[in-house]
Amino acid sequence: MGTPMPAPDQIDFSALPIYLPEVECTSRERIRAIQLAKLIEQVGYTYARVPWYRDQMDALGVTPADIRTLDDVRKLPFTDKSALRETFPFGMFAVPMDEIVEMHASSGTTGKPIVVGYTAADMDVWSECIARLAQMAGVTAADRVQMAFGYGMFTGGFGLHYGIQRIGGMMIPAGAGNTERHIQMIEDYGTTTLIATPSYAMHICEVGEKLGFDWASSTLERGLFGGEPCPPRLKAEIEARMHITCTDNYGLTEVMGPGVSGECLAHRDQQHIAEDHFLWEVVDPATGEPVAEGEMGELVLTPLDKRGIPVLRYRTHDLTRVTTEPCACGRTLARMQKVRSRCDDMLIIRGTNVFPSQVEDVIGRIDELTPHYRIVVDNEGGLDRMTVEVEIKPEAFSDSFEEMSAFAREVAGKLRNVLLVTPVVRLVEPGGIERTLGKAKHVDDRRR
Amino acid sequence: MSITQISVFVESRPGHLTRTLEAFAEAGIQVRGFCAGDTGEYGIVRFIVDRPDAAMALLAERGAAARTSEVLCARLDDRPGALARAMVACAQAGINIVYCYSLAATCIALSVKDIASAEAALADADIDLVDQAELARVLAGATL
Repeated sequence: MGTPMPAPDQIDFSALPIYLPEVECTSRERIRAIQLAKLIEQVGYTYARVPWYRDQMDALGVTPADIRTLDDVRKLPFTDKSALRETFPFGMFAVPMDEIVEMHASSGTTGKPIVVGYTAADMDVWSECIARLAQMAGVTAADRVQMAFGYGMFTGGFGLHYGIQRIGGMMIPAGAGNTERHIQMIEDYGTTTLIATPSYAMHICEVGEKLGFDWASSTLERGLFGGEPCPPRLKAEIEARMHITCTDNYGLTEVMGPGVSGECLAHRDQQHIAEDHFLWEVVDPATGEPVAEGEMGELVLTPLDKRGIPVLRYRTHDLTRVTTEPCACGRTLARMQKVRSRCDDMLIIRGTNVFPSQVEDVIGRIDELTPHYRIVVDNEGGLDRMTVEVEIKPEAFSDSFEEMSAFAREVAGKLRNVLLVTPVVRLVEPGGIERTLGKAKHVDDRRR
Repeated sequence: MSITQISVFVESRPGHLTRTLEAFAEAGIQVRGFCAGDTGEYGIVRFIVDRPDAAMALLAERGAAARTSEVLCARLDDRPGALARAMVACAQAGINIVYCYSLAATCIALSVKDIASAEAALADADIDLVDQAELARVLAGATL
Protein backbone atom coordinates (compact mmCIF):
# COMPACT_ATOMS: atom_id res chain seq x y z
CA MET A 1 0.00 0.00 0.00
CA GLY A 2 1.45 3.37 -0.97
CA THR A 3 2.11 5.45 2.12
CA PRO A 4 3.53 8.86 1.27
CA MET A 5 5.78 10.58 3.77
CA PRO A 6 4.14 12.98 6.22
CA ALA A 7 5.13 16.64 6.51
CA PRO A 8 8.82 17.19 7.42
CA ASP A 9 8.03 18.10 11.04
CA GLN A 10 6.17 14.82 11.54
CA ILE A 11 8.86 12.53 10.20
CA ASP A 12 10.86 10.41 12.64
CA PHE A 13 14.24 10.84 10.96
CA SER A 14 15.91 8.39 13.34
CA ALA A 15 13.86 5.66 11.67
CA LEU A 16 15.15 6.51 8.19
CA PRO A 17 18.34 5.03 6.76
CA ILE A 18 21.54 7.02 6.23
CA TYR A 19 23.89 5.30 3.82
CA LEU A 20 27.21 6.52 5.17
CA PRO A 21 26.62 8.19 8.54
CA GLU A 22 30.32 8.38 9.37
CA VAL A 23 30.68 10.83 6.47
CA GLU A 24 27.20 12.25 6.00
CA CYS A 25 26.79 13.12 9.70
CA THR A 26 30.34 14.01 10.63
CA SER A 27 31.56 17.37 11.93
CA ARG A 28 32.15 20.29 9.57
CA GLU A 29 35.82 20.27 10.63
CA ARG A 30 36.25 16.67 9.58
CA ILE A 31 34.54 17.27 6.24
CA ARG A 32 36.89 20.15 5.55
CA ALA A 33 39.87 18.03 6.53
CA ILE A 34 38.77 15.27 4.14
CA GLN A 35 38.25 17.84 1.40
CA LEU A 36 41.65 19.44 1.88
CA ALA A 37 43.55 16.15 1.85
CA LYS A 38 41.73 15.05 -1.30
CA LEU A 39 42.08 18.43 -3.01
CA ILE A 40 45.85 18.47 -2.58
CA GLU A 41 46.11 14.97 -3.99
CA GLN A 42 43.68 15.64 -6.84
CA VAL A 43 45.43 18.80 -8.00
CA GLY A 44 48.76 16.96 -8.07
CA TYR A 45 47.17 14.06 -9.95
CA THR A 46 45.56 16.36 -12.48
CA TYR A 47 48.67 18.47 -13.06
CA ALA A 48 50.77 15.39 -13.61
CA ARG A 49 48.41 13.63 -15.98
CA VAL A 50 46.36 16.13 -18.00
CA PRO A 51 48.38 18.40 -20.31
CA TRP A 52 45.46 20.81 -20.72
CA TYR A 53 45.48 21.56 -16.99
CA ARG A 54 49.25 21.70 -16.78
CA ASP A 55 49.26 24.36 -19.50
CA GLN A 56 46.50 26.33 -17.81
CA MET A 57 48.19 26.23 -14.40
CA ASP A 58 51.61 27.03 -15.82
CA ALA A 59 50.10 30.04 -17.56
CA LEU A 60 48.75 31.24 -14.20
CA GLY A 61 52.02 30.45 -12.46
CA VAL A 62 50.34 27.98 -10.11
CA THR A 63 51.79 24.64 -9.10
CA PRO A 64 50.23 21.87 -7.01
CA ALA A 65 52.50 22.97 -4.12
CA ASP A 66 50.52 26.24 -3.93
CA ILE A 67 47.45 24.36 -2.71
CA ARG A 68 47.72 24.31 1.07
CA THR A 69 44.24 25.36 2.24
CA LEU A 70 40.75 24.92 0.81
CA ASP A 71 40.67 28.61 -0.09
CA ASP A 72 43.71 28.03 -2.29
CA VAL A 73 41.35 26.38 -4.76
CA ARG A 74 40.74 29.94 -5.98
CA LYS A 75 44.25 30.03 -7.40
CA LEU A 76 43.25 27.32 -9.87
CA PRO A 77 41.81 27.98 -13.32
CA PHE A 78 38.10 27.57 -13.98
CA THR A 79 36.95 24.89 -16.39
CA ASP A 80 34.15 25.49 -18.84
CA LYS A 81 32.22 23.13 -21.06
CA SER A 82 34.28 24.40 -24.00
CA ALA A 83 37.42 22.73 -22.62
CA LEU A 84 35.73 19.34 -22.85
CA ARG A 85 34.52 20.13 -26.36
CA GLU A 86 37.91 21.27 -27.63
CA THR A 87 39.48 18.05 -26.45
CA PHE A 88 36.74 15.78 -27.87
CA PRO A 89 36.56 12.89 -27.42
CA PHE A 90 39.28 11.69 -25.02
CA GLY A 91 41.68 14.63 -24.66
CA MET A 92 40.97 15.26 -20.97
CA PHE A 93 41.28 11.64 -19.90
CA ALA A 94 43.88 11.13 -17.18
CA VAL A 95 44.30 7.39 -17.45
CA PRO A 96 45.13 4.93 -20.26
CA MET A 97 41.95 3.88 -22.05
CA ASP A 98 42.18 0.33 -20.74
CA GLU A 99 41.51 1.64 -17.23
CA ILE A 100 38.21 3.13 -18.37
CA VAL A 101 35.37 0.71 -17.67
CA GLU A 102 32.39 2.76 -18.88
CA MET A 103 31.75 5.83 -20.92
CA HIS A 104 28.81 8.17 -21.17
CA ALA A 105 28.08 11.28 -23.16
CA SER A 106 25.81 14.26 -22.90
CA SER A 107 23.19 14.77 -25.57
CA GLY A 108 25.22 17.38 -27.43
CA THR A 109 22.32 19.60 -28.37
CA THR A 110 24.61 22.61 -28.58
CA GLY A 111 27.59 21.12 -30.37
CA LYS A 112 29.65 18.00 -30.04
CA PRO A 113 28.67 15.76 -27.14
CA ILE A 114 30.65 15.89 -23.91
CA VAL A 115 32.30 12.50 -23.52
CA VAL A 116 33.15 11.20 -20.08
CA GLY A 117 34.94 8.04 -18.97
CA TYR A 118 34.87 6.32 -15.62
CA THR A 119 37.46 4.08 -13.99
CA ALA A 120 36.30 1.29 -11.69
CA ALA A 121 37.03 3.61 -8.74
CA ASP A 122 34.90 6.37 -10.35
CA MET A 123 32.02 3.92 -10.77
CA ASP A 124 32.37 3.05 -7.10
CA VAL A 125 32.11 6.71 -6.04
CA TRP A 126 29.21 7.28 -8.39
CA SER A 127 27.12 4.39 -7.13
CA GLU A 128 27.92 5.41 -3.55
CA CYS A 129 26.60 8.94 -4.23
CA ILE A 130 23.41 7.50 -5.74
CA ALA A 131 23.03 5.12 -2.79
CA ARG A 132 23.14 8.14 -0.46
CA LEU A 133 20.42 10.06 -2.24
CA ALA A 134 18.23 6.98 -2.60
CA GLN A 135 18.45 6.46 1.16
CA MET A 136 17.67 10.15 1.76
CA ALA A 137 14.36 9.34 0.10
CA GLY A 138 13.94 6.19 2.20
CA VAL A 139 14.95 3.49 -0.30
CA THR A 140 16.26 0.26 1.33
CA ALA A 141 17.17 -3.25 0.25
CA ALA A 142 13.47 -4.14 0.55
CA ASP A 143 12.52 -1.83 -2.32
CA ARG A 144 11.60 -2.74 -5.87
CA VAL A 145 12.74 0.06 -8.10
CA GLN A 146 11.40 0.54 -11.60
CA MET A 147 13.50 2.46 -14.09
CA ALA A 148 11.64 4.72 -16.50
CA PHE A 149 14.73 6.59 -17.71
CA GLY A 150 16.25 5.39 -20.92
CA TYR A 151 19.47 3.46 -20.48
CA GLY A 152 22.15 4.41 -22.96
CA MET A 153 24.68 7.23 -23.17
CA PHE A 154 22.65 9.41 -20.81
CA THR A 155 24.12 9.18 -17.28
CA GLY A 156 20.76 8.96 -15.51
CA GLY A 157 19.78 5.39 -16.38
CA PHE A 158 22.87 3.40 -15.47
CA GLY A 159 23.89 5.83 -12.72
CA LEU A 160 20.72 5.28 -10.74
CA HIS A 161 20.67 1.58 -11.60
CA TYR A 162 24.09 0.89 -10.02
CA GLY A 163 23.36 3.04 -6.99
CA ILE A 164 20.12 1.24 -6.17
CA GLN A 165 21.86 -2.12 -6.48
CA ARG A 166 24.58 -0.81 -4.16
CA ILE A 167 22.03 -0.70 -1.32
CA GLY A 168 20.53 -4.02 -2.30
CA GLY A 169 17.36 -2.67 -3.86
CA MET A 170 15.91 -4.71 -6.70
CA MET A 171 16.15 -2.98 -10.07
CA ILE A 172 13.36 -3.45 -12.57
CA PRO A 173 15.07 -2.15 -15.73
CA ALA A 174 11.95 -1.31 -17.71
CA GLY A 175 13.54 1.62 -19.52
CA ALA A 176 11.84 4.52 -21.21
CA GLY A 177 8.49 4.46 -22.94
CA ASN A 178 5.46 2.18 -23.13
CA THR A 179 3.50 3.81 -20.38
CA GLU A 180 0.78 1.19 -20.09
CA ARG A 181 3.41 -1.49 -19.63
CA HIS A 182 4.98 0.60 -16.84
CA ILE A 183 1.66 0.71 -15.02
CA GLN A 184 1.15 -3.02 -15.55
CA MET A 185 4.61 -3.71 -14.16
CA ILE A 186 3.98 -1.60 -11.07
CA GLU A 187 0.89 -3.70 -10.45
CA ASP A 188 2.42 -7.10 -11.31
CA TYR A 189 5.79 -6.72 -9.60
CA GLY A 190 4.79 -4.63 -6.58
CA THR A 191 7.06 -1.71 -7.53
CA THR A 192 7.67 0.64 -4.60
CA THR A 193 9.89 3.23 -6.26
CA LEU A 194 9.72 4.82 -9.68
CA ILE A 195 12.71 6.50 -11.31
CA ALA A 196 11.54 8.95 -13.96
CA THR A 197 11.64 12.49 -15.20
CA PRO A 198 8.91 14.45 -13.41
CA SER A 199 7.07 15.10 -16.65
CA TYR A 200 7.06 11.40 -17.52
CA ALA A 201 5.89 10.53 -13.99
CA MET A 202 3.00 12.95 -14.53
CA HIS A 203 2.23 11.21 -17.81
CA ILE A 204 2.25 7.79 -16.14
CA CYS A 205 -0.07 9.21 -13.48
CA GLU A 206 -2.53 10.53 -16.03
CA VAL A 207 -2.53 7.42 -18.18
CA GLY A 208 -3.10 5.33 -15.03
CA GLU A 209 -6.02 7.53 -14.02
CA LYS A 210 -7.57 7.15 -17.47
CA LEU A 211 -7.20 3.38 -17.26
CA GLY A 212 -8.92 3.45 -13.87
CA PHE A 213 -5.73 2.47 -11.98
CA ASP A 214 -6.09 3.31 -8.28
CA TRP A 215 -2.85 5.06 -7.31
CA ALA A 216 -3.97 5.38 -3.67
CA SER A 217 -3.95 1.63 -3.17
CA SER A 218 -0.95 0.81 -5.36
CA THR A 219 2.35 -0.41 -3.89
CA LEU A 220 4.17 2.66 -5.19
CA GLU A 221 5.61 4.77 -2.35
CA ARG A 222 8.03 7.15 -3.94
CA GLY A 223 9.46 8.71 -7.05
CA LEU A 224 13.13 9.47 -7.63
CA PHE A 225 13.17 12.22 -10.21
CA GLY A 226 15.88 13.58 -12.43
CA GLY A 227 16.82 14.48 -15.97
CA GLU A 228 15.08 17.85 -15.89
CA PRO A 229 14.22 20.49 -13.29
CA CYS A 230 11.23 19.62 -11.15
CA PRO A 231 9.02 22.65 -10.46
CA PRO A 232 7.62 22.47 -6.88
CA ARG A 233 4.03 22.69 -8.10
CA LEU A 234 4.44 19.77 -10.47
CA LYS A 235 6.04 17.71 -7.73
CA ALA A 236 3.23 18.55 -5.29
CA GLU A 237 0.65 17.57 -7.86
CA ILE A 238 2.31 14.24 -8.62
CA GLU A 239 2.62 13.52 -4.90
CA ALA A 240 -1.06 14.23 -4.33
CA ARG A 241 -2.39 12.32 -7.33
CA MET A 242 -0.09 9.29 -7.20
CA HIS A 243 0.00 9.16 -3.37
CA ILE A 244 3.78 9.01 -3.33
CA THR A 245 6.74 11.03 -2.03
CA CYS A 246 9.01 12.46 -4.70
CA THR A 247 12.57 13.68 -4.39
CA ASP A 248 15.04 14.79 -6.96
CA ASN A 249 18.78 15.10 -7.18
CA TYR A 250 21.35 17.25 -8.90
CA GLY A 251 24.29 16.39 -11.03
CA LEU A 252 25.88 16.94 -14.39
CA THR A 253 27.69 14.68 -16.78
CA GLU A 254 30.85 16.81 -16.77
CA VAL A 255 31.56 16.20 -13.08
CA MET A 256 30.02 12.70 -12.73
CA GLY A 257 26.31 12.58 -13.55
CA PRO A 258 23.39 12.44 -11.12
CA GLY A 259 24.29 12.23 -7.44
CA VAL A 260 26.30 15.39 -6.78
CA SER A 261 23.55 16.32 -4.35
CA GLY A 262 20.23 14.83 -3.27
CA GLU A 263 17.05 15.99 -1.59
CA CYS A 264 16.37 14.78 1.95
CA LEU A 265 12.89 14.85 3.44
CA ALA A 266 13.57 17.65 5.93
CA HIS A 267 14.13 20.50 3.49
CA ARG A 268 12.27 19.75 0.32
CA ASP A 269 13.77 22.62 -1.66
CA GLN A 270 17.37 21.76 -0.82
CA GLN A 271 19.82 18.99 -1.59
CA HIS A 272 22.77 17.64 0.43
CA ILE A 273 26.01 17.84 -1.50
CA ALA A 274 28.33 14.81 -1.38
CA GLU A 275 31.02 17.14 -0.03
CA ASP A 276 33.63 14.47 0.52
CA HIS A 277 33.59 13.90 -3.25
CA PHE A 278 32.84 17.43 -4.49
CA LEU A 279 34.31 20.71 -3.33
CA TRP A 280 31.75 23.43 -3.94
CA GLU A 281 32.17 27.14 -4.39
CA VAL A 282 29.50 29.75 -5.02
CA VAL A 283 30.80 32.67 -7.05
CA ASP A 284 29.53 35.86 -8.59
CA PRO A 285 29.00 34.80 -12.20
CA ALA A 286 30.19 38.16 -13.48
CA THR A 287 33.47 38.36 -11.54
CA GLY A 288 34.19 34.77 -10.50
CA GLU A 289 34.75 36.03 -6.94
CA PRO A 290 33.20 34.10 -4.04
CA VAL A 291 29.91 35.33 -2.58
CA ALA A 292 29.13 35.20 1.15
CA GLU A 293 27.71 31.91 2.44
CA GLY A 294 23.99 31.75 1.80
CA GLU A 295 24.13 34.26 -1.06
CA MET A 296 22.93 33.37 -4.54
CA GLY A 297 25.62 32.73 -7.10
CA GLU A 298 27.01 30.29 -9.62
CA LEU A 299 27.86 26.81 -8.40
CA VAL A 300 31.44 25.78 -9.16
CA LEU A 301 32.38 22.15 -8.54
CA THR A 302 35.69 20.37 -8.16
CA PRO A 303 35.32 16.58 -8.04
CA LEU A 304 37.83 15.46 -5.40
CA ASP A 305 38.54 11.90 -6.40
CA LYS A 306 37.63 11.60 -10.03
CA ARG A 307 40.23 9.51 -11.81
CA GLY A 308 39.02 9.05 -15.38
CA ILE A 309 38.52 12.73 -16.16
CA PRO A 310 39.58 15.04 -13.35
CA VAL A 311 37.94 18.45 -13.58
CA LEU A 312 38.99 21.49 -11.61
CA ARG A 313 36.57 24.28 -10.72
CA TYR A 314 33.90 23.37 -13.22
CA ARG A 315 31.55 26.28 -13.88
CA THR A 316 28.09 24.78 -13.87
CA HIS A 317 26.33 28.01 -14.90
CA ASP A 318 23.68 26.90 -12.40
CA LEU A 319 22.55 29.38 -9.77
CA THR A 320 22.09 28.34 -6.18
CA ARG A 321 22.87 29.24 -2.61
CA VAL A 322 24.50 26.89 -0.11
CA THR A 323 24.05 26.58 3.64
CA THR A 324 26.12 24.57 6.11
CA GLU A 325 23.53 24.81 8.90
CA PRO A 326 22.68 21.44 10.49
CA CYS A 327 19.72 19.62 8.97
CA ALA A 328 16.82 17.95 10.80
CA CYS A 329 17.48 14.72 8.88
CA GLY A 330 20.73 14.33 10.83
CA ARG A 331 23.12 14.99 7.98
CA THR A 332 25.76 17.67 8.34
CA LEU A 333 26.69 17.89 4.65
CA ALA A 334 26.03 21.30 3.14
CA ARG A 335 22.73 21.87 1.41
CA MET A 336 22.31 23.65 -1.91
CA GLN A 337 19.04 25.20 -2.91
CA LYS A 338 17.54 23.41 -5.88
CA VAL A 339 18.70 24.94 -9.11
CA ARG A 340 15.94 26.78 -10.87
CA SER A 341 17.86 29.17 -13.05
CA ARG A 342 21.10 29.54 -14.89
CA CYS A 343 23.64 32.34 -14.98
CA ASP A 344 22.59 33.12 -18.50
CA ASP A 345 19.34 34.35 -16.89
CA MET A 346 21.08 36.84 -14.61
CA LEU A 347 20.31 40.51 -15.08
CA ILE A 348 22.47 43.35 -13.89
CA ILE A 349 20.21 46.25 -12.93
CA ARG A 350 21.94 49.43 -11.82
CA GLY A 351 24.93 47.35 -10.84
CA THR A 352 22.94 44.83 -8.80
CA ASN A 353 22.68 41.17 -9.80
CA VAL A 354 19.06 40.14 -10.16
CA PHE A 355 17.90 36.60 -10.87
CA PRO A 356 14.46 35.82 -12.29
CA SER A 357 14.21 32.98 -9.76
CA GLN A 358 14.21 35.58 -6.95
CA VAL A 359 11.26 37.31 -8.56
CA GLU A 360 9.58 33.92 -8.93
CA ASP A 361 10.10 33.19 -5.22
CA VAL A 362 8.52 36.48 -4.14
CA ILE A 363 5.60 36.19 -6.57
CA GLY A 364 5.01 32.60 -5.47
CA ARG A 365 4.49 33.72 -1.89
CA ILE A 366 1.83 36.32 -2.71
CA ASP A 367 -1.59 34.68 -2.60
CA GLU A 368 -3.30 37.31 -4.74
CA LEU A 369 -1.05 36.58 -7.73
CA THR A 370 -0.80 33.71 -10.18
CA PRO A 371 2.73 32.24 -10.55
CA HIS A 372 3.13 33.82 -13.98
CA TYR A 373 5.33 36.87 -14.38
CA ARG A 374 7.43 38.73 -16.89
CA ILE A 375 10.39 41.00 -16.37
CA VAL A 376 10.97 43.87 -18.77
CA VAL A 377 14.18 45.83 -18.49
CA ASP A 378 14.81 49.02 -20.38
CA ASN A 379 16.83 52.15 -20.00
CA GLU A 380 15.38 55.55 -19.39
CA GLY A 381 17.66 58.55 -19.36
CA GLY A 382 20.71 56.40 -18.65
CA LEU A 383 19.07 54.58 -15.75
CA ASP A 384 18.05 50.94 -15.88
CA ARG A 385 14.37 50.45 -15.27
CA MET A 386 12.95 47.09 -14.30
CA THR A 387 9.27 46.41 -14.73
CA VAL A 388 7.73 43.26 -13.30
CA GLU A 389 4.41 42.27 -14.82
CA VAL A 390 2.29 40.14 -12.53
CA GLU A 391 -1.13 38.60 -12.96
CA ILE A 392 -3.77 39.13 -10.33
CA LYS A 393 -6.08 36.24 -9.59
CA PRO A 394 -9.72 36.97 -10.48
CA GLU A 395 -10.79 36.74 -6.83
CA ALA A 396 -8.15 39.27 -5.73
CA PHE A 397 -9.51 42.09 -7.90
CA SER A 398 -10.92 44.82 -5.67
CA ASP A 399 -12.79 47.27 -7.94
CA SER A 400 -10.95 50.19 -6.37
CA PHE A 401 -8.12 52.04 -8.05
CA GLU A 402 -6.82 53.02 -4.65
CA GLU A 403 -6.63 49.45 -3.39
CA MET A 404 -5.18 48.11 -6.61
CA SER A 405 -2.45 50.76 -6.66
CA ALA A 406 -1.69 50.10 -2.98
CA PHE A 407 -1.44 46.41 -3.80
CA ALA A 408 0.96 47.07 -6.69
CA ARG A 409 3.12 49.16 -4.34
CA GLU A 410 3.06 46.38 -1.76
CA VAL A 411 4.27 43.86 -4.36
CA ALA A 412 7.01 46.30 -5.42
CA GLY A 413 8.07 46.62 -1.78
CA LYS A 414 8.30 42.85 -1.32
CA LEU A 415 10.39 42.57 -4.50
CA ARG A 416 12.68 45.39 -3.40
CA ASN A 417 13.34 43.66 -0.05
CA VAL A 418 14.71 40.64 -1.88
CA LEU A 419 16.22 42.12 -5.05
CA LEU A 420 17.61 45.32 -3.50
CA VAL A 421 16.36 47.05 -6.64
CA THR A 422 12.97 48.77 -6.76
CA PRO A 423 10.96 47.56 -9.72
CA VAL A 424 7.86 49.07 -11.28
CA VAL A 425 5.05 46.58 -10.76
CA ARG A 426 2.48 46.36 -13.51
CA LEU A 427 -0.72 44.49 -12.78
CA VAL A 428 -1.92 42.42 -15.68
CA GLU A 429 -5.21 40.63 -16.33
CA PRO A 430 -5.45 36.96 -15.38
CA GLY A 431 -4.11 35.04 -18.38
CA GLY A 432 -2.50 38.25 -19.66
CA ILE A 433 1.04 36.88 -19.51
CA GLU A 434 1.86 34.67 -22.42
CA ARG A 435 2.15 30.96 -21.62
CA THR A 436 4.76 29.23 -23.68
CA LEU A 437 5.23 25.53 -24.02
CA GLY A 438 8.36 24.35 -22.26
CA LYS A 439 10.60 27.11 -21.00
CA ALA A 440 8.58 30.21 -20.32
CA LYS A 441 10.15 33.41 -21.55
CA HIS A 442 10.32 35.43 -18.38
CA VAL A 443 12.71 38.17 -19.35
CA ASP A 444 12.58 40.85 -22.01
CA ASP A 445 15.80 42.85 -21.79
CA ARG A 446 15.41 45.77 -24.15
CA ARG A 447 18.78 47.31 -23.27
CA ARG A 448 20.57 44.91 -25.59
CA MET B 1 -32.95 49.67 -3.47
CA SER B 2 -29.92 49.23 -5.67
CA ILE B 3 -28.76 47.73 -8.93
CA THR B 4 -25.85 45.40 -9.66
CA GLN B 5 -22.76 46.78 -11.28
CA ILE B 6 -20.02 44.61 -12.79
CA SER B 7 -16.41 45.79 -12.65
CA VAL B 8 -13.81 44.23 -14.89
CA PHE B 9 -10.03 44.57 -14.63
CA VAL B 10 -8.55 45.27 -18.05
CA GLU B 11 -5.13 46.26 -19.24
CA SER B 12 -4.95 49.65 -20.84
CA ARG B 13 -4.06 48.35 -24.28
CA PRO B 14 -5.80 48.34 -27.63
CA GLY B 15 -8.28 45.51 -27.96
CA HIS B 16 -8.54 44.53 -24.33
CA LEU B 17 -11.93 46.11 -23.66
CA THR B 18 -13.14 44.78 -26.98
CA ARG B 19 -12.80 41.20 -25.84
CA THR B 20 -15.26 41.69 -23.00
CA LEU B 21 -17.69 43.62 -25.15
CA GLU B 22 -17.62 41.03 -27.89
CA ALA B 23 -18.26 38.28 -25.40
CA PHE B 24 -21.26 40.21 -24.09
CA ALA B 25 -22.52 40.73 -27.63
CA GLU B 26 -22.17 37.07 -28.48
CA ALA B 27 -24.15 36.09 -25.37
CA GLY B 28 -26.82 38.67 -26.13
CA ILE B 29 -26.11 40.66 -22.98
CA GLN B 30 -27.34 44.23 -23.22
CA VAL B 31 -25.08 46.95 -21.87
CA ARG B 32 -27.18 49.66 -20.26
CA GLY B 33 -24.36 51.86 -19.13
CA PHE B 34 -20.61 51.79 -18.57
CA CYS B 35 -17.66 53.81 -17.47
CA ALA B 36 -13.98 53.14 -18.06
CA GLY B 37 -11.21 54.67 -15.99
CA ASP B 38 -7.52 53.95 -16.09
CA THR B 39 -4.24 54.55 -14.30
CA GLY B 40 -2.19 54.50 -17.48
CA GLU B 41 -1.37 50.80 -17.03
CA TYR B 42 -4.59 49.12 -16.18
CA GLY B 43 -8.19 50.12 -16.10
CA ILE B 44 -11.35 49.21 -14.29
CA VAL B 45 -14.36 49.15 -16.55
CA ARG B 46 -17.75 49.18 -14.87
CA PHE B 47 -20.88 47.92 -16.53
CA ILE B 48 -24.60 47.97 -15.92
CA VAL B 49 -26.12 45.14 -17.94
CA ASP B 50 -29.53 43.58 -18.30
CA ARG B 51 -28.46 40.17 -16.96
CA PRO B 52 -25.70 40.59 -14.37
CA ASP B 53 -25.67 36.91 -13.35
CA ALA B 54 -25.24 35.72 -16.92
CA ALA B 55 -22.56 38.35 -17.52
CA MET B 56 -20.62 37.31 -14.41
CA ALA B 57 -20.84 33.63 -15.34
CA LEU B 58 -19.49 34.49 -18.77
CA LEU B 59 -16.61 36.52 -17.33
CA ALA B 60 -15.74 33.78 -14.83
CA GLU B 61 -15.67 31.23 -17.61
CA ARG B 62 -13.24 33.45 -19.47
CA GLY B 63 -11.03 33.72 -16.38
CA ALA B 64 -11.47 37.49 -16.19
CA ALA B 65 -10.94 39.45 -12.99
CA ALA B 66 -14.44 40.74 -12.39
CA ARG B 67 -16.68 41.38 -9.45
CA THR B 68 -20.09 42.76 -8.70
CA SER B 69 -21.07 45.55 -6.37
CA GLU B 70 -24.26 47.36 -5.61
CA VAL B 71 -24.80 50.92 -6.75
CA LEU B 72 -27.73 53.28 -6.61
CA CYS B 73 -29.54 54.13 -9.79
CA ALA B 74 -31.40 57.43 -9.98
CA ARG B 75 -33.73 58.32 -12.83
CA LEU B 76 -33.51 62.03 -13.42
CA ASP B 77 -36.06 64.35 -14.90
CA ASP B 78 -35.33 65.28 -18.49
CA ARG B 79 -34.64 68.95 -17.83
CA PRO B 80 -31.83 71.37 -16.93
CA GLY B 81 -30.59 71.15 -13.33
CA ALA B 82 -31.76 67.60 -12.73
CA LEU B 83 -28.21 66.25 -12.24
CA ALA B 84 -27.30 69.16 -9.97
CA ARG B 85 -30.36 68.50 -7.83
CA ALA B 86 -29.32 64.86 -7.25
CA MET B 87 -25.78 65.89 -6.30
CA VAL B 88 -26.99 68.63 -4.00
CA ALA B 89 -29.24 66.17 -2.20
CA CYS B 90 -26.30 63.91 -1.47
CA ALA B 91 -23.95 66.75 -0.56
CA GLN B 92 -26.41 68.23 1.90
CA ALA B 93 -26.74 64.87 3.60
CA GLY B 94 -22.92 64.70 3.87
CA ILE B 95 -22.72 61.76 1.48
CA ASN B 96 -19.60 61.46 -0.64
CA ILE B 97 -20.09 59.99 -4.08
CA VAL B 98 -17.07 57.80 -4.78
CA TYR B 99 -17.81 57.78 -8.50
CA CYS B 100 -20.81 58.27 -10.69
CA TYR B 101 -21.65 57.77 -14.35
CA SER B 102 -24.61 58.06 -16.61
CA LEU B 103 -26.43 55.15 -18.15
CA ALA B 104 -28.39 55.22 -21.36
CA ALA B 105 -31.22 57.80 -21.16
CA THR B 106 -31.44 59.98 -18.05
CA CYS B 107 -30.31 57.39 -15.51
CA ILE B 108 -27.14 57.78 -13.47
CA ALA B 109 -25.31 55.16 -11.40
CA LEU B 110 -23.85 56.36 -8.11
CA SER B 111 -21.29 54.52 -6.04
CA VAL B 112 -21.42 55.42 -2.36
CA LYS B 113 -20.17 53.76 0.80
CA ASP B 114 -23.57 53.71 2.49
CA ILE B 115 -26.35 52.95 0.04
CA ALA B 116 -29.20 53.25 2.54
CA SER B 117 -28.44 56.80 3.65
CA ALA B 118 -27.81 57.99 0.10
CA GLU B 119 -31.04 56.39 -0.93
CA ALA B 120 -32.87 58.22 1.85
CA ALA B 121 -31.27 61.55 0.93
CA LEU B 122 -32.26 61.19 -2.74
CA ALA B 123 -35.77 60.01 -1.88
CA ASP B 124 -36.22 63.04 0.39
CA ALA B 125 -35.33 65.22 -2.59
CA ASP B 126 -37.97 63.42 -4.63
CA ILE B 127 -35.45 61.88 -6.98
CA ASP B 128 -36.75 58.75 -8.65
CA LEU B 129 -34.72 55.65 -7.78
CA VAL B 130 -34.71 52.56 -9.91
CA ASP B 131 -34.14 48.93 -8.95
CA GLN B 132 -32.93 46.07 -11.12
CA ALA B 133 -36.40 44.98 -12.27
CA GLU B 134 -37.51 48.48 -13.03
CA LEU B 135 -34.28 49.25 -14.88
CA ALA B 136 -35.22 46.77 -17.57
CA ARG B 137 -38.48 48.57 -18.10
CA VAL B 138 -37.04 52.09 -17.91
CA LEU B 139 -34.20 51.35 -20.29
CA ALA B 140 -36.09 49.14 -22.70
CA GLY B 141 -34.94 50.17 -26.14
CA ALA B 142 -31.74 51.78 -24.85
CA THR B 143 -28.88 49.37 -25.29
CA LEU B 144 -25.29 50.63 -25.68
